[in-house]
Amino acid sequence: MRAKKTVVSVVGVVVALLFLFPTYWMISTAFKPTGQIITSSYDLVPLGLTLQHFVDAITKPNFLTNVGNSLVVTLGAVAFSLVAGLLAAVPLARLRFRGRKGFLLLVLVAQMAPLEALLIPMYLMMRDLGLLNQLPSLLLVYFAATLPFTAWTLRGFVAGIPVDLEEAAMVDGCGRWAAFRRVTLPLLGPGLVATSVFGFITAWNEFIYAFVFMRDQDNYTLPVWLASFSDQFGTDWGGTMAASTLFTLPVLAFFLIVQRNLVGGVAAGAVKG
Amino acid sequence: MTATTNTAVSAGNTPPAPRSTAGAAPTRRRGQQSTGQRMLPYLLLAPAVLGILALLGWPVLSVLLTSVRKLDLGELMRGQVVWVGFDNYVEIISDPGFWEITLRTLLFTAGCVASIVLGGLLVALLMRHVPPAVRVLLQLSLVLAWAMPNLAATTTFQWIFDPNFGILNKTLVLFGFDGFAGYSWFTSGLSTLTVIVVVVAWQGIPFTAFTMYAGLLAVPGDLYEAAGIDGANSWQSFRAVTWPALRPILTVCTFLSILWDFKLFTQVWAMRQGGPDGGSTTLSVLQYLNGISAKHFGLAAAVSVLMIVVLFVLTAQYIRLLVRSREVDL
Repeated sequence: MRAKKTVVSVVGVVVALLFLFPTYWMISTAFKPTGQIITSSYDLVPLGLTLQHFVDAITKPNFLTNVGNSLVVTLGAVAFSLVAGLLAAVPLARLRFRGRKGFLLLVLVAQMAPLEALLIPMYLMMRDLGLLNQLPSLLLVYFAATLPFTAWTLRGFVAGIPVDLEEAAMVDGCGRWAAFRRVTLPLLGPGLVATSVFGFITAWNEFIYAFVFMRDQDNYTLPVWLASFSDQFGTDWGGTMAASTLFTLPVLAFFLIVQRNLVGGVAAGAVKG
Repeated sequence: MTATTNTAVSAGNTPPAPRSTAGAAPTRRRGQQSTGQRMLPYLLLAPAVLGILALLGWPVLSVLLTSVRKLDLGELMRGQVVWVGFDNYVEIISDPGFWEITLRTLLFTAGCVASIVLGGLLVALLMRHVPPAVRVLLQLSLVLAWAMPNLAATTTFQWIFDPNFGILNKTLVLFGFDGFAGYSWFTSGLSTLTVIVVVVAWQGIPFTAFTMYAGLLAVPGDLYEAAGIDGANSWQSFRAVTWPALRPILTVCTFLSILWDFKLFTQVWAMRQGGPDGGSTTLSVLQYLNGISAKHFGLAAAVSVLMIVVLFVLTAQYIRLLVRSREVDL
């Protein structure tokens, strides 16, 4: 029995290390001096430390502009879909009206929309609107990509707040809006944080639309910047890994913040195991 | 995990009586609300519904229309509308290259799904059985893998699989496989796609593992005890207790995985742009190449429509499954 426990533990540690390794390798390569990256010697632990690759990556032309672009489209899309999603979540969770099921189904189906397969019509639509190579085109696509999930998940969170609380506030003299603002909205805090983090990650990571829509380098978002970086500097693995690390950091930070909600949040909206 | 939606039925609760209709007779009941009150749900839903219809509904309609048009750069520039019926579809399905790519896409999807679902199941079971300290380590590394953006992951794996200085080949040589010194993993489509499956699985397993682990935790401990009292060994209690509880979750994970991986673009494109020599081109890459690169938008739209049809059938099945299993309350 004891031997079995040890074996299971060892397997667990090995699997954990396997999953950990690529992240570790990305970060450690980013900090290694070039001489230790392009080498035939075998070193899993960095022997030297340098910030040169990060300096190289950051001082590449357009890096800061591209970070700004990514922030604009990501935060813009998240803000819009939070507002529209919350507005939709409240009636879907709380009110009775004709067509409620239909609207729910619409949100559910929209959540499964295969964005990658809508590349051609989206491209043509943005071209007709004169938005190609403009940031608003991405903002719109990311809004569409995050909205259904946001509405669906927030609906779950709203439904989870007992309606009695609002009624109690109204008995105490709050209007409907005041009851919502003072009672429901604060309780929705964690839900809003979780959904906006997921929206942020979706939009921040998105590559295909940014890659197709944006022609000028100063309109790129970070994923396209990273892709062009590794194309142009194919063998500069130190720089490429530093760039990847910089790109990953915000996502990593957010993931660790909402770690507790991860399974619950995704499951509440998408999977429901 | 089911807790969140079980409460979702509170929508049936009677909304509090409207205060604004102060002048109304006290006998006034629901169903006789003012017009404003009745319109409220629709007004609140309007931004989301309009957004969904304009930005997702219209493209779906538009891709259908585009697929029966001849729309190359010339037509696009002149704003010309040329209907060609099913010519685009005929052209595509009579091209043997298309079937090769379709088969490749299906095999690629199968590879991704099999490794993600099986890997997720094994990791979930492992999580259940390791001591707490190891479990924390395991969960931390899974979250890190999950968190890495697709593109960063692909780039990192390109570096790991680098022929000359990549750590994988170096490790293989260290263990005595000298043939891997300078071995390139990207000379054939099959091997390139295998590397992509590794990336996708590495990123996809954490989600599946966490979901299944949550399902495992939901199994009441009494059931295992009862099985133990009845003399079941660990395999038998897995068969009789764990498996029935896991099966619905496994189905959901399989569906989601198929839906996600069938249309995968970023990793496939970023790894080798569909190369070498088109050897790792999948359907989503093909539609990009036909449409955005070669400017045959009608032809590309036909590919998109074929993909959407497959995805739609699967999605409909998936949603039916969710609704029927009461995972989702409509």
